[in-house]
Amino acid sequence: MIEDGRPIFVQIAEQIENDIIDGSLPEEGQVPSTNEFAAFHRINPATAGRGVNVLVENGTLYKKRGIGMFVSPGARERLLAARRDMFEKQYLRPLIAEAAKLGITRDQIAKLLQKDEV
Amino acid sequence: MTTLAADQPATARVASSAPRAINVLRLHLTNKWTTLGTPLLILTFIFAVNYVIWLLIYTSTPEAARTAAGGNQYVEGTQYSGSTFYIFIYMLVIAIQVVLRTFPFALGFSITRRDFYLGTALLFGVLAAIYSVILTIMSYIEEATTGWGLGGHMFSTVWFGTGSLGQRLSSEFFAFLFFFFVGAAISTVYLRWRATGMIVLWGSIVLIGVAAAALITFANGWPAVGTWFLNAGVYGVVLWSLVITVISAFFGFRILRRATPVN
Amino acid sequence: MSVVEIANLTKRYGSVLAVNDVTLSLEQDIIHGLLGRNGAGKTTLMQLLTGQDFASSGSISVFGAPPVENARVLQNICFIKESQKYPEDFRAKHVFTNAPLFFENWDSAFAEQLVAEFRLPLNRRIKKLSRGQLSSLGVIVGLASRAPLTFFDEPYLGLDAVARQLFYDRLLEDFAEHPRTVILSTHLIDEVQNLLQHVIVIDEGRILVDSDAEELRGSATTVAGTARAVDAFTLGRTVLSRQGLGALAQATLSRLSDEDRAAAAAAGLDITPVSLQQLVVSLSETAQAASAHSGTSAQLGTSTTSTQREK
Repeated sequence: MIEDGRPIFVQIAEQIENDIIDGSLPEEGQVPSTNEFAAFHRINPATAGRGVNVLVENGTLYKKRGIGMFVSPGARERLLAARRDMFEKQYLRPLIAEAAKLGITRDQIAKLLQKDEV
Repeated sequence: MTTLAADQPATARVASSAPRAINVLRLHLTNKWTTLGTPLLILTFIFAVNYVIWLLIYTSTPEAARTAAGGNQYVEGTQYSGSTFYIFIYMLVIAIQVVLRTFPFALGFSITRRDFYLGTALLFGVLAAIYSVILTIMSYIEEATTGWGLGGHMFSTVWFGTGSLGQRLSSEFFAFLFFFFVGAAISTVYLRWRATGMIVLWGSIVLIGVAAAALITFANGWPAVGTWFLNAGVYGVVLWSLVITVISAFFGFRILRRATPVN
Repeated sequence: MSVVEIANLTKRYGSVLAVNDVTLSLEQDIIHGLLGRNGAGKTTLMQLLTGQDFASSGSISVFGAPPVENARVLQNICFIKESQKYPEDFRAKHVFTNAPLFFENWDSAFAEQLVAEFRLPLNRRIKKLSRGQLSSLGVIVGLASRAPLTFFDEPYLGLDAVARQLFYDRLLEDFAEHPRTVILSTHLIDEVQNLLQHVIVIDEGRILVDSDAEELRGSATTVAGTARAVDAFTLGRTVLSRQGLGALAQATLSRLSDEDRAAAAAAGLDITPVSLQQLVVSLSETAQAASAHSGTSAQLGTSTTSTQREK
């Protein structure tokens, strides 16, 4: 779903990336059209197009003229690598900051992580 | 700029103002019941009521009195009938309403004030033609049947429906135009200046009327006024009304050009 | 390419400045949101753009020419006004018999489809239509006319949630197939914000915001925490609005960088994004406070006035 307070085209790009990462959009598979995205998410077609274009520009998607958008070969691997880089900043840092606020030590975090690994 | 050039055909298509004015006429005639059906129905009703009255007079008159003058006689006094006068007032109301209610709608349909006024004037012309033809035809039938067999007057009176065909048609046509354009002008004053405009308009009409009456009285001019009307005759008065019609049409247009829709 | 160019436009009704020195341009084939409170000047601005009203001063150019009494310009415009008047004797169907005469792109089949979807009673007198049905009538005309420049002024008063959603869906679908310039005026910002590409916020006749919708979406953030931490963090930054509750406070700030966010998190502040609606409310309040203090309206990004509400 589209959430408030963040540019919609960024969210559309992220959602396509997520679909590529979890395999629901396979490499060389066709991506829905801009208008389909717009109708599905009830957003402006131009905004949806902007989200798709971000991914075309960074090579995640490529255009076949007159046919549509497709997932580039190797896109999934590149996205995974980028997301792994982001992981620390996006998830670990806030976790450590929140833990520090609550007085949870790093050892305790490690224990919690192991316990959760059921 | 190539994009501009490519856009030209779509955005710069010039519609001449005549077809759009005719579309405004068609807009006005959307509901023909209002402009044609209802007034004719009421006219028929008034005719029926008149007919009953003539019938009562006819049957209550002794047959000897009727035949003494050698056939059917007109019922005395009915040549002063104002029965058809209602239709002129109805058209005045139509004109007021059409301008008041259709103008904001027309602007909402992206019609210019100019095209709206032209189309409305066309409507007035068409309606005036239709009604004056109907009234004239009725006046000839009335004459041919000596008052519908009962000696009644409704369509051939001292006001209208006498004289030559041209006089009958034109006097009624001009009279209709008078009521249409005066009604339209009243509405444009309201559209442009709202309630203030109405107060000023009616206030000045009353003032001018009173002043003119006072002036004529002081100058002992009433006999002269009376003579003027007698000399002009009904047809002359109708022709003189054209002056007011033209003034109303001109100012109605000028005022409407700066009017805004009622919110 | 811009469809509308306005320069220093002012409309005065007696002593009231309904539109106050507005300079604006609207790009072709974009859905614009004209947002603002009731009485902010939205309808007046649209009446000026459609030649229904006359400017007191300034200039307007629509499709390259002044719109007033210009048939060439006006025939490309459809203005669906909330307070639209109809001829006394009209039924809903009469509007549809006349529309093709004046809108050259009119699509009768589309209009018929919309009439069925909105369940508009065609034979009913317009005087007898409910507020919602009247809005449906306007929405259908606005969509089916496919005018290159279409204005919707508060188009959904009285429409239920289903009908409103239907309007948004059909607008987006038809816009995708037949791109055109749309101006959607409303005070219900939350519902339409995802449809908009460009946002114009008007308040007391002045333009507060004239910005790409996407830029606006990420442009404000609310930080909340203890009053001391909030004040320490907001010192030297542009505060759009601030609210206090005892020892707690929250402030809405314009765009924060990633470093700013990290700093705020480190200071123990909660960071939440601001919706378009909240942002418009904050800006309007700021403008009001500023004009109350100094008699001039505040501009986005330059005001440091804060409003305080103690409960």
